[in-house]
Amino acid sequence: MRAPLTERVVAAVLRLAPRAFRDRFAREMLATHRARAAERGGVAFALREVAGAVAAVLRLRVGDRTSVQSDGPRSTPRADGPLRGMLRDLGLAGRGLRRAPGFAVAAVLVTGLGIGASTAIFSALNALLLRPLPFQEPERLVLLYETNPEFDWTHAEAAPANVLDWAEGVPAFQDVAMYGAFTDQLTWLRDGDAQLLTLAQVTGNFFHVLGVAPAAGRVLLPEETWVGGGTRNAVVISHALWMSRFGGAADAVGQGMELANGERAEIVGVAPEGFTFPADGVDLWAAWGWDPADRTATYFRRAHWVRPVARLAPDATLAGADAQLQAVVTRLQAEYPATNRVMGAGMMPLRDYLVRDARSGLLVLAGAVLLLMLLVVVNVATLVLVRAAERSREVAIRHALGAGRWRVVRHIVAEGLLLAVLGGALGLLLATLGVRAMTDLTRLGIAGATTAATDLRVIGFAAALTAACAGVFALLPAVRLRGGSAGSALRVGGRGASEGRRGLRALRTMVIVELALGVLLVAGAALMMRSFDQLRRVDPGFRTEGVLAVRFSVPAARYPNRDQVLALQRALVDRVEAGPGVERVGMVQQLPLNGPSWSSQFQARGWPAERVGLDIVHRRADRGYFEALGIPLLRGRLFEPGDGPETEPVVVINQRFAREHFPGEDPLGQLIAYDRAATEASTWRRIVGIVGDQHQETLRAPPRAEAFEHREQDWGRTLWMVVRGGAAAAALTPVVREAVAELDPLIPLEEVRTLGQVRRAAMAGEELVMVLLGLFGAMALLLASVGVYGVTARAARRRTREIGIRMAVGADGGQVLRLVLLQGAGTVVAGILLGLAAALLLTRAMSGLLYGVTPTDPATLAVVAAVLAGTALVAMLVPALRAARVDPGGLLRAE
Amino acid sequence: MSVTPLTYHILMALADADRHGYGIIKEIGLRLGQDEEPSTGALYVALQRMGEEGLIADTDPPAGEAGEADPRRRYYRLTPAGREAARAESNLLAALLAAARAKDLLSATGER
Repeated sequence: MRAPLTERVVAAVLRLAPRAFRDRFAREMLATHRARAAERGGVAFALREVAGAVAAVLRLRVGDRTSVQSDGPRSTPRADGPLRGMLRDLGLAGRGLRRAPGFAVAAVLVTGLGIGASTAIFSALNALLLRPLPFQEPERLVLLYETNPEFDWTHAEAAPANVLDWAEGVPAFQDVAMYGAFTDQLTWLRDGDAQLLTLAQVTGNFFHVLGVAPAAGRVLLPEETWVGGGTRNAVVISHALWMSRFGGAADAVGQGMELANGERAEIVGVAPEGFTFPADGVDLWAAWGWDPADRTATYFRRAHWVRPVARLAPDATLAGADAQLQAVVTRLQAEYPATNRVMGAGMMPLRDYLVRDARSGLLVLAGAVLLLMLLVVVNVATLVLVRAAERSREVAIRHALGAGRWRVVRHIVAEGLLLAVLGGALGLLLATLGVRAMTDLTRLGIAGATTAATDLRVIGFAAALTAACAGVFALLPAVRLRGGSAGSALRVGGRGASEGRRGLRALRTMVIVELALGVLLVAGAALMMRSFDQLRRVDPGFRTEGVLAVRFSVPAARYPNRDQVLALQRALVDRVEAGPGVERVGMVQQLPLNGPSWSSQFQARGWPAERVGLDIVHRRADRGYFEALGIPLLRGRLFEPGDGPETEPVVVINQRFAREHFPGEDPLGQLIAYDRAATEASTWRRIVGIVGDQHQETLRAPPRAEAFEHREQDWGRTLWMVVRGGAAAAALTPVVREAVAELDPLIPLEEVRTLGQVRRAAMAGEELVMVLLGLFGAMALLLASVGVYGVTARAARRRTREIGIRMAVGADGGQVLRLVLLQGAGTVVAGILLGLAAALLLTRAMSGLLYGVTPTDPATLAVVAAVLAGTALVAMLVPALRAARVDPGGLLRAE
Repeated sequence: MSVTPLTYHILMALADADRHGYGIIKEIGLRLGQDEEPSTGALYVALQRMGEEGLIADTDPPAGEAGEADPRRRYYRLTPAGREAARAESNLLAALLAAARAKDLLSATGER
């Protein structure tokens, strides 16, 4: 169970306290905090507790050390040491800020939002790139992959026989483990209850190579790879399953597990907490249990379905290991030309491989949040400067009355420090909330290995940002004040002279920077939104509305042979199709847009030996699949009732297949075999129909050439049932559930998703980046317009007298309006142009993320410039209109 | 003033009974109202400092509460020095109050 948020933040802050204090009090403090939270709660209490913890840590870290030596009670006031003086200055600053709540709230809020956003993104980066993997010496682990220029394979799964040869032939590998590229689902029968579990199949040395020790019992053993018969006799269970189903009891080890497929597994150990590698939600690990005869079987070298991880020998280098690997690869190419003729291999550090998909999006977000932070600092610095200017008169008076300049400066420094620290604490809180919100949307971190958490590194990052803010907020006005002389501020009647030309110029420069940053961030958000919109418009080639997909497996124990499996599947289709509201039902091996698909090479009957069709996708399906998903038949026919397990094997291909592999020929009636050197003994399948293209793995890539086998001719136990109904797709779930339960209550629905969900999930990464960039852009727009408003208002106020005189001698409101707007226009135009120039240079970094729009898309940038200009105009209009309404008579009388 | 307000409140809270941190906060809350209770962080910094200054010391849970005592909770008691400090401070405050009353800053009925 997770502790409440406030408690975790307090605990995190306390970790920064000196060790002696922590050891003595931390546990007790958290217990006390918990007791109070239980009876009070509320945001105000939470904020006070967090602020109290921050203050406590600050006091302990910087508070004077003399008290440690003192003995006995103090009867005289403490000596005013420098640090204690500082604390008192902080108290004074706090009181000062309370007198200017608008300024204080704005500055703390903006700083907090900036630090919060930056820290949240840093948490995600931290989980991905910095947090240690839960493996021993992870830097010595490398991921191996296969490459094949003919198929465009760059980081493909490997064939186990090749991996075994690499392991033997590369001395730089201390050991090589493998895990399945996919996890499996299996059903555990326990107390009359069926629970679906996720199984990771691995080689027996998996835990040894990663260096992972069990939480209880033992890990798998290297020799269990080869026990034969594919048995899952010995399994290691996850820590989460151990806790939820066995209550963490030690006697879980040694217990048997009854599986729905009739197998029995024995729990031999428990994995450590937090470890579910190679995927999230793994419940069990089992060794493959290959038969020693598999080692030389053709399929062991032809099918690519394992991910190998090697541990480098202590003195080995990546380059050295790679050179040895290439030698083995060359040897295998000569030795097994049928499978390995152009098969290459490569390696990369394990972590680089695990983060490769998420990296580009996160780095763009990191860049964006850096710009946002810059904008925040400039914005708050502007506020602080304006406040300093407003107080210059007060300061001058205090100078004149004899207050030391040092003392005045110290007061200002303390105020900046306090703002930054409060902003930092708010930021840390917001970051924790933000990380939680992001985690709800998508997985942060490395699947099965790391998660985003507020660890010391994250707190340190927030603290460093806070310190940087404190530096800017405190030093900027202090330096400016020290520069001005007391006389100049007191000289002019009414307003302080530091409000003068020089101060305004500094503000204008800052507003130009703010606008430029605003353009950049809004441009990033706009590009991502256009890209997402393009992606959303992509026609996937099948209907996604009103279709439900359900995956289930037919257990071998109760349905041992093909005919029984097919009979059950047929009965299921019939029964669901008869259900209320159901229009069409079909079955398919893999849903589109739902992960990798199988691919093969093929030859057509009559082709010369050197002609091969490379890298086609293929899936098993039935007629109902095409009809339920509205995939059009373009020529020929779909599967017919006459096609069955005993008749000639037939396939339906997509349009792309026809165009790519049979240009100028009629594919209908041709015979193909999934074999690069097909013989009479190969399985020949007749092409009977051509259907429309569907996107297979992603919406970004165009559809690939694809063939569909008849699912009764190439039968399988695990299939997705697709159900099209008139009503909303989710409403069909009970219909399916009931039908399955009537036929066999022990078959669980392994996964239930609507095709709409499948499609959204295929864009989830892009969606998260878009939402975050959109938030940053909105915030940037707001901050930049506040900046424009501020500087325009000050400029107008500075010229109030002039405006009053002009109006007294006959200028009308329109002329005044024009005057004020024109004066600000230069700033706005300069800022936007600077931003556009920067955008042309920087949005290039997004090109890997964008779809259907170039990073310098002129239309998008034009819209962005217009939005910024419009917002700036509104921000200027408010003070300009106020100036135009000035009553000249009253103003001049007041003078 | 020779001790900070929080120090004084802690001394007061421990004057009649040994308490754990949570108990001290509750006791302060009774006197000042919940909104004026110190934050948990502030309390423990003060407790550490007062321990170093010899005003308070760790102690065993009172006999009545020993059975249900949470092992994470430490109890605190006043040292003789702490009691002396509380007394001195109270006398000082009493003198101040008397002066305030003499200057008519404090109504006799004690209305706030």
